[in-house]
Amino acid sequence: MAAAGGLRRAGWRLWRARRAVVRCQQYPPLRALQASAALRAASDEHKKEPWASSSQQHFESPPAGHQPEEKPQGPHPSYTGQGGQESEDYESEEQLQHRILTAALEFVPEHGWTAEAIAEGAKTLGLSVAAAGLFHSDGSELILHFVSDCNTKLTELLKKEQKLVQLGEAEKKPIDEFLRDAVEARLRMLIPYIEKWPQALSVLLLPRNIPSSLSLLTSMIDDIWHYAGDQSTDFNWYTRRAVLTAIYNTTELVMMQDSSPGFEDTWRFLENRVADAMAMSNTATQVQSTGEAVVQGLMGAAVTVSNAGTCRAVTAELLLNVSICFPPKSREQHGKTVIFHNLDLFKGDFLGSLRLVHCFVVEELEKSIRKLSLKLQGEL
Amino acid sequence: MAALRLWRWRCRALLSRPAGALRARRGLAAGPEMHFGFQTVTEEERREKIYQVFENVAKKYDVMNDSMTLGIHRVWKDILVHKMNPCPGTLLLDVAGGTGDIAFRFINYVRSVRQRQLQRKLRHHQNLSWQEIFESYQNDKFNNSLGDSQVVVCDINREMLKVGKQKAQHLGYSEGLSWVLGNAEELPFDDDKFDVYTIAFGIRNVTRIDLALQEAYRVLKPGGRFLCLEFSHVSNPLVSRLYDLYSFQVIPVLGEVIAGDWRSYQYLVESIRQFPPQEELKAMIEDAGFFKVDYENLNFGIVAIHSGFKL
Repeated sequence: MAAAGGLRRAGWRLWRARRAVVRCQQYPPLRALQASAALRAASDEHKKEPWASSSQQHFESPPAGHQPEEKPQGPHPSYTGQGGQESEDYESEEQLQHRILTAALEFVPEHGWTAEAIAEGAKTLGLSVAAAGLFHSDGSELILHFVSDCNTKLTELLKKEQKLVQLGEAEKKPIDEFLRDAVEARLRMLIPYIEKWPQALSVLLLPRNIPSSLSLLTSMIDDIWHYAGDQSTDFNWYTRRAVLTAIYNTTELVMMQDSSPGFEDTWRFLENRVADAMAMSNTATQVQSTGEAVVQGLMGAAVTVSNAGTCRAVTAELLLNVSICFPPKSREQHGKTVIFHNLDLFKGDFLGSLRLVHCFVVEELEKSIRKLSLKLQGEL
Repeated sequence: MAALRLWRWRCRALLSRPAGALRARRGLAAGPEMHFGFQTVTEEERREKIYQVFENVAKKYDVMNDSMTLGIHRVWKDILVHKMNPCPGTLLLDVAGGTGDIAFRFINYVRSVRQRQLQRKLRHHQNLSWQEIFESYQNDKFNNSLGDSQVVVCDINREMLKVGKQKAQHLGYSEGLSWVLGNAEELPFDDDKFDVYTIAFGIRNVTRIDLALQEAYRVLKPGGRFLCLEFSHVSNPLVSRLYDLYSFQVIPVLGEVIAGDWRSYQYLVESIRQFPPQEELKAMIEDAGFFKVDYENLNFGIVAIHSGFKL
């Protein structure tokens, strides 16, 4: 038995030595994303450039799963392309993924926020449809990418406005108008994708995506308050953010079912809610309502996180959000329960039925969001 | 008992090894010795032996798979195709896919995705005007139940391909399927042709794994995906012991009883032990030029799915 083990080890060592020799003699592969670079530059000269120094490095260092994106930024001999210019065709995986997701956005109205849209996006870049495998199969990375994109655009817009105010070319807006304009500008970015947005929202509410979607949301609200000139360091900081989050979420829900021309109803709803918030802040019950708002916000988050993946938790969270905006007496009207239907899980392919359950959960969330927004519209 | 058999086999192999002529012809520094299970043989010999192994087991391949893995290999292959998540219009190259398991699963998956797509289109069509519906019928997109996806099954062994073709006929798979005889180290295809390259339980039998990986890189389109499903290294000590016990004591016996070929299944089990573990294989795949190389252990590492992209 020991002899067999010894022979095996010797055989393996021989195999490895041989492999190392062979690798040294072979043409060393370029580490940069030459396939995508070639597609972009559409020139042939970049392909067969030998990297003598990097091949040495390659042979000496143990092959221990180094990150490919470090290589393009590391020291390497720069080569010249056509006309003696230094070529800058290296890009990391991250940049390529960003490009694919940006390209995929134009297919969203047709295919929804799914891996199919990502596949179509990859096709327009000249890559194979299998590149959609770089991302998760439910399209959540696409949505998160879109949301962070919108947030960046909003921040830039607010920065520009602030600069105009500082230069004296525009007047400083009163707070309620500022908030209204900021939320409106941000929501207008959703208009091209408004039909499939409920699906996006329901995917964002899946437990896997909640940390990232929540952080994106809070950073956006924070940005808006920062540019509104909020410099509070007391409990007001929490109040203001909680209130604005509630306003934003409910307006978003209303917008999804709004069929009025130019979304007038949504903007009117937004105006009313902001006015309510302003009025609320001027009353003596400020501290109490702040406490309530924060507690309800926290409870909502806790309920959602603990009951992973059930529609009930999600609608509870949304309802809690809603109840922050509405005066107490109308809260009783919003009670409802969602029954999670039993699915027949054993219709054959187990994995397929898991996928079905996933789709079902997403669809249920979408349905409850639509119903909720319809109800909200009734309260306009 | 197994050790004794091993010694007997090795003596036989030593006696039957050809003269050093083959070795001289090779001319490589480290020598052409390779492993065939726990034996050491030359490259040429290894290829021949493996060809014979699969020639012998071809007819009973599926039955043996089921009995050895207690049917779990179906779940593994299902997981592989779900991980691939192909959309209609994908070109798949299934190397060493002799009896067509992955190919059939791929076709089923693409068909169901296509059906859902068509259903969604029809629902959408309920809101269109007559003119638009007329135009969409002109496009002729509704006829293809597979949405232009195709599978090419490539195998080095004629017997395995024969069995695969018979199975396809028996199960009724006809469109989108082609059978090609070819060597994984030297694929008879042009560059940049396929969207996905899979090799399920086949890369272990390839003599030069690095060549096979380079060929995979060559035939894939930019953005294409490499998927490899293979037996791998179990790190959990308890599971490892049970697994070893099962592999060396039960499987060759099953091979003798069901397929009448103990030696082939002894080879199979030994070749699993000789195969590089997950991290090694990941490094090899990265060497071939693939990006975002990752592996997923199934069943504690008994089987692992490696995935890489040509970017």
